[in-house]
Amino acid sequence: MRRVASRLLHVLERVLDAESAVRELRWMQEVLAGPKPSPSTSTTLEDMVARRVRGEPLQYILGTQPFGPLTLLTRAPVLIPRTETEDWAHRLAEMRQPTRHKPLSVLDLCTGSGCIPLLLCSLWAPGSTHACGVDISEDAIKLSADNARANDIAIPEKGPLPPHEFRLRDRNTFTPLLGNIRDSAFVVASGLHPPFDIITSNPPYIPKREYDELPVSVKDFEDHRALLGDPDDTVPDGRGLTFYHTIAELLNSNKLLKCDGIVALEVGAGQARDVASIMENQGGMRHTRIWNDPWGKERVVIATN
Amino acid sequence: MSILSRLNLRPHTFSAACRVHKNRTYSTQQHAFTDLDNAPIVQLVRRKLQERSKLQSETSEDRVSAEDVARIKKIKELEQLQHAWEEWTQVAKSLQETTPLLSDSDPAMRALAEEEHASLTQELSAMVETTFPRLLIPASSTAHMSALVELRSGVGGSESSLFLGEIMRMYLRVAGSYGWKASVLSRNETENGGIKDAILEVKGEGAYDILRWESGVHRVQRVPATEANGRVHTSTVSVMVLPTSEDSEPGKDEELFKMSDVRIEVMRARGAGGQHVNKTESAVRLVHDPTGITVSMQDERSQHQNKRRAFQVLRARLMDRKLEEEMAQRRAVRKNLVRSADRSEKVRTYNYAQDRVTDHRLGWSVMNLLSVMEGDALRDILQALEEKHGEEQLEELLTE
Repeated sequence: MRRVASRLLHVLERVLDAESAVRELRWMQEVLAGPKPSPSTSTTLEDMVARRVRGEPLQYILGTQPFGPLTLLTRAPVLIPRTETEDWAHRLAEMRQPTRHKPLSVLDLCTGSGCIPLLLCSLWAPGSTHACGVDISEDAIKLSADNARANDIAIPEKGPLPPHEFRLRDRNTFTPLLGNIRDSAFVVASGLHPPFDIITSNPPYIPKREYDELPVSVKDFEDHRALLGDPDDTVPDGRGLTFYHTIAELLNSNKLLKCDGIVALEVGAGQARDVASIMENQGGMRHTRIWNDPWGKERVVIATN
Repeated sequence: MSILSRLNLRPHTFSAACRVHKNRTYSTQQHAFTDLDNAPIVQLVRRKLQERSKLQSETSEDRVSAEDVARIKKIKELEQLQHAWEEWTQVAKSLQETTPLLSDSDPAMRALAEEEHASLTQELSAMVETTFPRLLIPASSTAHMSALVELRSGVGGSESSLFLGEIMRMYLRVAGSYGWKASVLSRNETENGGIKDAILEVKGEGAYDILRWESGVHRVQRVPATEANGRVHTSTVSVMVLPTSEDSEPGKDEELFKMSDVRIEVMRARGAGGQHVNKTESAVRLVHDPTGITVSMQDERSQHQNKRRAFQVLRARLMDRKLEEEMAQRRAVRKNLVRSADRSEKVRTYNYAQDRVTDHRLGWSVMNLLSVMEGDALRDILQALEEKHGEEQLEELLTE
């Protein structure tokens, strides 16, 4: 067994640095030793290593990714929750302490795996948080629902919970919604109940030029709809900001946010200042702040009134 | 059966406290009682209770002053000892009453008296051996704490890291046998299947107090698997046992460190980061500036979890420092006989050729190395070390 592992370690070292290879191999062994996270999880170490060498992200091979106290399921092609997102979502959670008697509503746009609203649901007190997550991808919506169930967060049966029912619930809830946020009718069509206390989003933000240069494990495995900042070729500037314009429009025209609400948007490298001014000028938000990620990069724009 | 042999049944149970004059022969049972009654610990109990009644007489009736409050607290603390002493006096009185009957003319009465006398004496010696020490030795402030066990390979290169792996498994096994939950928080493996360093978390009531005597240098003497010409090598692994709590309360941390004194560093450059990168880069390093303590953690797949773990280790190391400092202070104030563990001290030798494990503090050898590595004999060693500690604490009390 040790000889097999040692051979596979050398195989992994062809695509990873030595330290990462040791750790990734151990994580694979740990997953194989435990219960299978999903039917598509490999059953042999050889198979896992072969997939990794072909460039598949570790998180898809292992089937899960820890995200704060949550263990989230990961399934191609839904965007894998990133460390940067884990960091700022915790920070956001510290800004408010909702209770069952003072509950908060959360709307997460481009929710993907559901990582952001599910983390808030798990960090905040039971019965204090009622979240909706919207995504254009059916895979994402299914996965976010599975993630809610896997982490013991309730999914309301009849769609988004109206605020007058918040107090009847002793658990936090998450409603996954299939929808296109760029379609102006989506707020009504999804049955949302604006205004929200918190609006979060990690929208696709990678400019086309950079997208073409992405590593194989991102470009060939993760959904381009979760990555490409300008989905239409017609966008002139090509700086990957399309979704921030969309979100600004939504804020402006739909009264989506409460007066004392918070908007938290993850941004890509070099986009924070632009996004802050989009929020102020186009979204009508009075104050914006920028948060850095653990690597010192500008990563989040926080907008308030 | 003489009292002396009865006292010696359990050589590790506070023998210092129950030290009676061993050279004397017991001509009469009366001597037996006198010896027990003169045992240093019984005298200490008397002194403590005299202090207590003095405090009681000093306490004013309305019990309002700050001094009164302090006095009442002390009186309360010695309440159990007072109860035990009342019991002692009762039993001693019965014993005294029985003694004349030992020379009764009626053989049946004599036999009865002898039986009664023996059982009362046994009761008294049990109090000297266990009840009084238990009530006098201050309760451990770390009794409820779990443990982190840090292992580092020392001299001996790859052989040392192979042995580290075996020591690690020994602790995992012994933890299991105590019913504690043990897991590997972090480990650095070597190419040949050894482990350079590791941190174990042992969760359970009393885990720290029982394991703390493991701190120190552990030495292995054997022919390494990698050695072709059969020469015996000596290698070492250093062990450090730190106190840790199940979950930290935010307020509690402030006693140990200020958040602003801790730098949180991430390990490597990540390019654009965010959506551009899906490689797991979860490693974290904490630097506590005032002490220079650095903790790196990279075994978890989430940075948040690594950070949590790293803070747990930092907290444990700072807590360990604090306990050391408190111990040093006490030693400075009064002559402290309780040894502090010198972490560079050689505490144990594992000799494979002789199938022997020697604990250098106990001066014991277990002639069955496997039973130590499997955990059973290690438990005996740990218990003996704990008892030794109890004796030292008691000796300190008695010399006060």
